[in-house]
Amino acid sequence: MERTLTGPSMRSAIWAKIGQNLVASIVIGGSVAAGIALAVLAGPAQLINSIVTGGMWALMSVGLALVFGVMNIPHFAHGESFMVGAYVAYFVFTPLHKYLKTNPNAFLSTMAPFIAILAATLVGFVLGVIIEKLIFYPLRRRTRAQWVMNTFLITVGISFIMTNGATLVLGPNFRGIPRYWDVDPIKFLGVRIAFDRIVAFAIAIVTIAAFWFFLHSTQTGRAIRAVAQDEDGAQMVGIDLNFIHSLTFGLATAMAALAGASLLFMFQAYPTVGLKPLYFAWYVVMLVGLGNIGGAIIGGFIVALLQTATQQFIGIAWEDVIPTIVMILVLLLAPSGIFGSEVKGVHEQ
Amino acid sequence: MFVEGFPVSGRRLKLRINEGGAKLLEVKDLNAGYDFLQVLWDVSLHVSEGEFVALIGPNGAGKTTTLRTIAGLLSPMSGEILFKGKPITHLPAHKVSRIGISYISESLNLFPKMTVRENLLLGAYAVRDRKRISESLDFVFDLFPRLAERSSQLAGTLSGGERKMLAIARGMMSNPELLLVDEPSLGLAPKLAQRVFDALQELRRRGVTILLVEQNVNITLEITDRAYVLEQGRIVLEGKSSELSQNEHVKHVYLGI
Repeated sequence: MERTLTGPSMRSAIWAKIGQNLVASIVIGGSVAAGIALAVLAGPAQLINSIVTGGMWALMSVGLALVFGVMNIPHFAHGESFMVGAYVAYFVFTPLHKYLKTNPNAFLSTMAPFIAILAATLVGFVLGVIIEKLIFYPLRRRTRAQWVMNTFLITVGISFIMTNGATLVLGPNFRGIPRYWDVDPIKFLGVRIAFDRIVAFAIAIVTIAAFWFFLHSTQTGRAIRAVAQDEDGAQMVGIDLNFIHSLTFGLATAMAALAGASLLFMFQAYPTVGLKPLYFAWYVVMLVGLGNIGGAIIGGFIVALLQTATQQFIGIAWEDVIPTIVMILVLLLAPSGIFGSEVKGVHEQ
Repeated sequence: MFVEGFPVSGRRLKLRINEGGAKLLEVKDLNAGYDFLQVLWDVSLHVSEGEFVALIGPNGAGKTTTLRTIAGLLSPMSGEILFKGKPITHLPAHKVSRIGISYISESLNLFPKMTVRENLLLGAYAVRDRKRISESLDFVFDLFPRLAERSSQLAGTLSGGERKMLAIARGMMSNPELLLVDEPSLGLAPKLAQRVFDALQELRRRGVTILLVEQNVNITLEITDRAYVLEQGRIVLEGKSSELSQNEHVKHVYLGI
């Protein structure tokens, strides 16, 4: 079975490998350098800031990588899951908060934000399952031809409908909260960090760790990875594709909604709130390699570092430009991203 | 179409015992194919409990299509497939796997970025009982000690022979009653192919019923009880393997004698 590559094909294969490793080293080295520069020149505040944002980008990107890896869907409505999460958290938290003003209750005040975030996550999961069952499942049954292109267009359509639907029903106003917890900022390394940010970061890290454990140490998690690697093989061992697809889409949507809810104090809730997180999540997954879940976690932090370094050293208006330039350069030199793509189907279809 | 008795070796006694078993799998007048290209034409075959049956034929005859249709990866155009007397004709693949039919495909369909152990654990996906899973693991590690050595290696980095063993082992993890094996010797050096055939014989000795598709007709007719010859999507010959190997058509076309 082993094929020995000879001549030009071998040389080009070796060059591709070297190119990818080189680009990966440059990008990772560059981000670490940017992080050190930030810490030295701008103080640890900015570094800590970018780590907190990185956790959220990672959470968004993992969902995107998951949906692309398992279902081959380039999910352009992922930002709207973020938006739904933000709205649900707002509409659950605000009445609770109002009620607590007249009836003070220390325990409930601590728990209210968690209730709002949990509600948003659950709604996200249910919404994801409904979208999968209502749209992607019938399409999959009908035809797998041109799957990536079709689903790309569908998700863009879902995105339009959901943003405009939200504008129609809720109006274009910003709805937000100044903060979840009435707690003083916490001092860390001489920097004052808002309590909400710390909790948001903790939520991101705990969720990603739990999800990683789920994927690698439970039969259902392994089944999700199995479907990403070989669909026929998965069916042959008794895995129900429909169940795994719904579960995957539900989980990805839930993670985006969780991110939207945890960051409500920062982003607020409005119909197009999901666009920016969506773009950054796409930077991340394209940078690291489509469908690569482990890479998406690291990539989230890389993009956040690049972004903060750009804001600090070049100017806030450039924060979208620099990550895009880096992404284009990476794709030119290493087309499957710095950690390589783990996707089976795209090249076949 | 039946091949009538020829003088045969001592194998026959064993065959008699196996013939007593009930029909485990029965395929009746199966028509199947891809889109508008029909590959199988009224294929009928059966496999009794404990039997080792071969399906042989030239390239493109429809052997793989037959197995894929039984495994539920392909929906038949017409005909009937019965397993233990119950119809499973239009059952989706994951359900076919759960009722006790394991399909080991030509391309193996392993999960390359998972370890050998994870591949095996997924083989027991439908099994919820942890004790049974660990028993199955012991069973396949006993059958293929090589896999135990490599259990934490990624499946994609295994050699060709090891990958075949892993595919067979993964198929055995669900403790199936019927094993459908597609071209296990494909791409293997003769010595490795022999080891795969030995493993199949060992499984059969341990009571697993096997339907084997093979190009290597010589060895196949030596180790199986009965065989069907599929040509251009139709069963043209069937009978005891020992008798088929004496058949003029088989000798001429497949054995090159």
